[in-house]
Amino acid sequence: MRPFEYIRPATVGEASRILTERGEGAFVIGGGSAAVVMLRLGVVRPECVVDLGGVAALRGLEANGALRIGALTSIRALELDGSVRARWGLLAEAASQVANVRVRNAATVGGAVAYGEPQTDTPTALAALNATVRIAGGDPERERAVPIGEFHLGPYETVLAPGEIVAGVDVPAQPPHTGGAHLKFTIGSPENKPAANASALVTLDPASGKCVAARVVMGAAGPTPVAAQAAEGLLGDFPTPERIAEVAAAAAEEADPMEDLRGPVWHKRRLLKVLTERALLCATQRAQA
Amino acid sequence: MPTLEAADKAAGRVAYMGDLLVPNMAHAKIVRSPLPHARIRSIDAQAARALPGVVCVLTRDEVRADPDMEEIYGFVYRDAPLVAMDKTRHQGDIVAVVVAEDAATAEAGAELVDVDYEELPAVMNVRDALADGAPRVHEEFFPIAPELRPQPGTNICHQATIGCGDVERGFAEADFVYEDEFSAPPVQHCALDLHAVISQVEDGQITVWTNCQSPFPLGRELERIFKMPARVIVPYVGGGFGSKSRDRLECVVTAAAKLARRPVRCVLSQEETFMTFIRPAYANRIQTGVKRDGTITARRNTFYVDVGGYAISGARSANNTLKVATGPYRIPNAEVNCRAVYTNKPPSSPYRGLPTTQHTMAYEAQLDRIARDLGIDRLEIRRKNLARDGDTHITGDYLRSAHAQECMEQATVAIGWDDPLPASLDGKTLRGRGVSCTIKYTLTPASRMSENGAEIALGTDGVFEVRIGTVNIGQGSDTVMAQIAGDALGVGLDALRIVHSDTARTPVDSSTTASRSTYHMGRAVVDAADALKPRIIEAAAQLLERDADSLVLARDGVAPADESEDEGGVTYAELARRVGSPLAAQGECIVGGTYDAPDGKTYPIASTFWTFASCAAEVEIDAETGQIRIVKAAASATTGAAINPRSIETQLEGGVGQELGPTLFEQMTWDDGGQLLNAALLDYPLPTMETMPHYEPRYVDHPFEGGPFGAKGMGEVGAVVVPGAVLNAVYDATGVLFREMPLLPHKILEALDAREGEPRSAYP
Repeated sequence: MRPFEYIRPATVGEASRILTERGEGAFVIGGGSAAVVMLRLGVVRPECVVDLGGVAALRGLEANGALRIGALTSIRALELDGSVRARWGLLAEAASQVANVRVRNAATVGGAVAYGEPQTDTPTALAALNATVRIAGGDPERERAVPIGEFHLGPYETVLAPGEIVAGVDVPAQPPHTGGAHLKFTIGSPENKPAANASALVTLDPASGKCVAARVVMGAAGPTPVAAQAAEGLLGDFPTPERIAEVAAAAAEEADPMEDLRGPVWHKRRLLKVLTERALLCATQRAQA
Repeated sequence: MPTLEAADKAAGRVAYMGDLLVPNMAHAKIVRSPLPHARIRSIDAQAARALPGVVCVLTRDEVRADPDMEEIYGFVYRDAPLVAMDKTRHQGDIVAVVVAEDAATAEAGAELVDVDYEELPAVMNVRDALADGAPRVHEEFFPIAPELRPQPGTNICHQATIGCGDVERGFAEADFVYEDEFSAPPVQHCALDLHAVISQVEDGQITVWTNCQSPFPLGRELERIFKMPARVIVPYVGGGFGSKSRDRLECVVTAAAKLARRPVRCVLSQEETFMTFIRPAYANRIQTGVKRDGTITARRNTFYVDVGGYAISGARSANNTLKVATGPYRIPNAEVNCRAVYTNKPPSSPYRGLPTTQHTMAYEAQLDRIARDLGIDRLEIRRKNLARDGDTHITGDYLRSAHAQECMEQATVAIGWDDPLPASLDGKTLRGRGVSCTIKYTLTPASRMSENGAEIALGTDGVFEVRIGTVNIGQGSDTVMAQIAGDALGVGLDALRIVHSDTARTPVDSSTTASRSTYHMGRAVVDAADALKPRIIEAAAQLLERDADSLVLARDGVAPADESEDEGGVTYAELARRVGSPLAAQGECIVGGTYDAPDGKTYPIASTFWTFASCAAEVEIDAETGQIRIVKAAASATTGAAINPRSIETQLEGGVGQELGPTLFEQMTWDDGGQLLNAALLDYPLPTMETMPHYEPRYVDHPFEGGPFGAKGMGEVGAVVVPGAVLNAVYDATGVLFREMPLLPHKILEALDAREGEPRSAYP
């Protein structure tokens, strides 16, 4: 690893100022689970590393109606938090599938979102939950909020402007009779990065049992998380296994996976179909419960 | 029992290479070739030398300028230059070494070395390397081991054949002949402890600290290259699996240390280990003749081992695979050819049992195909053909302790072979079981000689110091040697101290490889104890002014043989203090030569002992994704008498867990330009606790005649039997015989689609 200057700002304003001044030479580190690997492999060679770990304003996990996640919240905290498990179970489930417990203890939600890596689980679930990314920087008085579906522009590419950082993620409250599920497929150990994943969210009308809302987001399925239009096919209908299989097949057709060491395109598309189908079935059962 | 050092290791109190520091030490970074095959036009190291903090840069010019430095090393095959002289032969080949005050400066300096390469056409696999007019990786051959036979004018660095009986007649006697091709790609050992060396050249003497598996041959090679005495010290090693069995770093770092006139430390990154030693690509064409009742009558077989750019390790491992070429079976007529081939991949080395693992996969998978085709039970066809005591092996050896069938019965019973498999109600889960059997040899000299020594010395603290060359690589060797020494001397473990692998302090040992230490070093320790005991009695007798016959060795000291006598003994500590001069003795283990069998005939010894093993596995396949889960597994091996049952069980289980990686998902992958795509653990999946099946420990412990307390070796064999068992379980579950590792999910799904006539082109 090449030597670099290490800076640990205490406020968002300070962090933003340093990032603006240092420009391309600065590299932001949150929990470090991805950043340290990039530094070690020489993928990045910054002049200075800006560690956001000391910025108190980026901490906190609050569930008052909506879920307000500070950027420094660990993936492990999402997995274990009682409110998240009870009311945003999909998110806790996705968090529980990230790498291993050592990585989950280090990795942060802000980092997982800002990194923009396609082969990851948390952003897929956040996108299914219609989360909003809070962005801070520039003028410290003003935060801006961007729907997560618009936050990622491509692999490792986001809307963050120079000097901006992810301050947190907000997740709206889920309507009653909603069930969610996240499934991940890996080559080798379940700790590995996903070859494909899918988050499904189903809301049922308790009187009729028909589907009133459905969302499917697939990860490692394209340059950014892919929200499948096909999910709308469930609206107003009974989410039967046959219907779900059709929707899942159509969803997989919307994906644009890449061939890589985790497998050929045809297999990834097949995985996305199977994962989507299983996640929808599981989400429906949970919505019925 | 847990290993002696277990608590210290768990508490972080054990020093590995990464913990060692030497005063005034400088740090090295290797400049590596980015191209698989290239001629070096020029090397400009001026900018690197000018960088503040850089001590020196070793290139071919410095090596050539030093008359007391041989250019080429390799103690099995002498074909590796200290640094690339005229050309580079694999991506990551060593071109120069930058030595600096700290590691970061060395790294910065390495980037400033400007090498002008002329790219040469590369041969990235055996097929291309054997093609007419293929580019040559080496222009000349320098085999050292006498059994190695290069083929001039080709890329074949070694070719050999082993045979028995009359193959043509064997095939003529067969009712059916089966022919298959099997293959497996390269993988990396991924030992936790990365290759690391500290070398010091001072006052005409080399001292090297390294985590290698063969300190004594390495020391001799250093002495040849640098023409001065060399001492090699190996601390605790965190795994090698064969990747550290031969030198790839020690000689070049010593050259850098000589140039720097300072101790030099070099620690490879995980990424660099992928370009240092790898398990070779392997391919096998296997033809088997059988009678209608399943009796094997003939085997013709050619296997190819891709040794990569240098044969320093891979050529001999390929050759040694011939010794187990027909497996643990009675095959009266056989001809097996081995071709070890140079390519522009990184050099290959053994991997937990040479290429025996891939070879076993081939003959075991084909045997299941034969059994299914002939309608014979899979265990029955093995029972019919497995070797027994008194059989003559393909090497001509007389087989003893050939409890192959007992291993198979144990492993299959352990996983509930005859229990019905759970039914899949929705048809989306396929289940099956498989078994595989093997035979494994150990490194054995061509003629009768000792390659192992041990020394035991009684210190004034009353502790017996047992000095052994065996490297403690995590296998529990210190513990087993202490147990053997304790039993041989009749003292407890608290009266013993192990000193391991330091060429200046421990007698010679050929290597810690090939599951050889328990047997060979164990016998040397027993021999040393037997030599020491009378000396101690004699010394005590003189001191106590008693008759030697009236004294025996007891737990704490020399005591009267007559147990009714309360007094008249002496503690070991007191004895050592009062004698003043060292009470020490050396022992050795002489092996090789010939064996006089109970049948009155004399047989050759290609292997001091043969280890038989079997693995049974149950798999579950997700028919929609192609994912394989190993539900249950059991491995069993013939261990001889078990010295430390717990170490045996964990060695076998570790072998199974590790080999599930290459069987299911590990493989090194190159692009069309010969660039390695996954030389980092981010992109290279490894087995973890999550991929471990429910594992049932088993072993067959009939005492082995001649072994120390009846023991023989078994360190690698747990891994060897895994791929065959898994391939056969998948065959059982799907009806598809896979002929290539790893069993990636998309390959499974592709095969299931083809089986069901469901074209995968539904998703182009």
